[in-house]
Amino acid sequence: MSDAVICRDLWKSYRPRRPIGLKSFVVGPRSAAEGDRFVRQWALAGVNFRVAKGQAFGVVGHNGSGKTTLLSVLLGTIRKERGEVDVRGRVASLLELGAGFHGELTGRENVALYGSILGMTLREIRERFDAIVEFSELDRAIDSPLRTYSAGMIVRLGFSIIMHSPADVFLIDEVLAVGDARFQDKCRHHLREFKKRNGTLVIVSHNMAELSEICDEGICLELGEVVEEGPIERVIAGYRARSATPPPVASAARP
Amino acid sequence: METARRTPRQALELLYLLVRKEMKVRYKSSFLGYIWALANPFAYALVYWIAFKFIMRIEVENYSLFLITGIFPWLWLSASVVSGTRSLFVNATLVKKVNVPRAILPLSNVVQEMVHFAFALPVIVAFVCVAGDYALNASWLWQVPLLLAVQLAFIYPLALSMAVVNVFIHDIEHLVGIGFTLLFFATPMVYPITLVPEAYRHFFELNPFHALIQSWRSVFLQGTLEGAPLAYAAAFAVVAGAVAWLLYRKLAPRIGELV
Repeated sequence: MSDAVICRDLWKSYRPRRPIGLKSFVVGPRSAAEGDRFVRQWALAGVNFRVAKGQAFGVVGHNGSGKTTLLSVLLGTIRKERGEVDVRGRVASLLELGAGFHGELTGRENVALYGSILGMTLREIRERFDAIVEFSELDRAIDSPLRTYSAGMIVRLGFSIIMHSPADVFLIDEVLAVGDARFQDKCRHHLREFKKRNGTLVIVSHNMAELSEICDEGICLELGEVVEEGPIERVIAGYRARSATPPPVASAARP
Repeated sequence: METARRTPRQALELLYLLVRKEMKVRYKSSFLGYIWALANPFAYALVYWIAFKFIMRIEVENYSLFLITGIFPWLWLSASVVSGTRSLFVNATLVKKVNVPRAILPLSNVVQEMVHFAFALPVIVAFVCVAGDYALNASWLWQVPLLLAVQLAFIYPLALSMAVVNVFIHDIEHLVGIGFTLLFFATPMVYPITLVPEAYRHFFELNPFHALIQSWRSVFLQGTLEGAPLAYAAAFAVVAGAVAWLLYRKLAPRIGELV
């Protein structure tokens, strides 16, 4: 089986440099510590993994261990420093649900906007529109402005759009648990179907039950390094064992 | 890995949807929304008309027309660069959480303001015809689209460069606001260039913004489009475009982690 996501010896650091402000020109850095805010050198340190097509890959780790950085690099919004990243096929990101939603627009208009932001063509959006509305269970509310929606409705709409985007790879950050229990079931079912159609998932989550249910393999990150890898159950067990002890140098987390 | 893999068609669709969103938000209550969009430039014009016609009494023929024909294109220019400069921060979620081509964000600000300007065109034309007693001019049909295109090509590189630089030097957005206030007075907007002392007039004529505004005025007031100022504005657009492209290419990869 061929790989959909390949990550080879990936390194990434956030340089200890802030955006330059006039103030620091005039009065200098506020303190010696400010210039050195990112205590840790590497946000990702030699990360290696590959995800086969049709597989789901879980990424676990404490806050600040580099999970979101990893997804951002895979997505391409953050530049890698060293190593190789190869994501094959169309990528859709679920790093934030409904990035670009606007309250004054109706649900219908937001479907078009968000769909386009995710990389769908208008034609694809039109073709899938009915399926999106049906999945979201919004019914006639789809023509009301988004600001009149409940939080659950917004989340359902966002999830429905992304679930219908014709991506080959989904990058998901902590946004699996959306809507009520029934809608969550529906989403899980949909993700499994997506896998069956040879779609690939990379999921960051703190919800171990969810990960063990949907993922096949995974890694556990600690301060940017892979400390556990392999079948998801083993990764989760390793993560749990590490959770029993306090995380090392938590203050070194990226702010 | 190729980032932001989108066909030009998809990029255009996204641009269209982003612009439409702003239009919808701004013209929410459609009719009044349109009135409000016009109110601002007219208020500007009124203030300067009172100040310079009544109080300081400068002698300019058709001063109200002179103001109106300059202020509308100016507001397109300044409003889009000012909002474009902030666009990458305002749309931080689009920059960080999804893979949207970043250059499209300031472009959507510029196009929004262009659409506002285009919506205002009938009012400007009506004003010129009524207050100035001019007749409709058939050559506007090619002059106006041409100038629109030149001004778009003129503004976008400015907005894009400022947006990118603002990510690295955050104070730029304040400087741009102040800069445009200064430029408003440095460009012969509320006074004709003939009032500038002869010794300094040459410097004022070097201002590419002046070339652009002057072109709009001669189109509206004389129905002519002179080659020299237009060519000067177009040349500026080409140079600014090259600079913006280099800046964007060099700095864009680091935007994601700094916004």
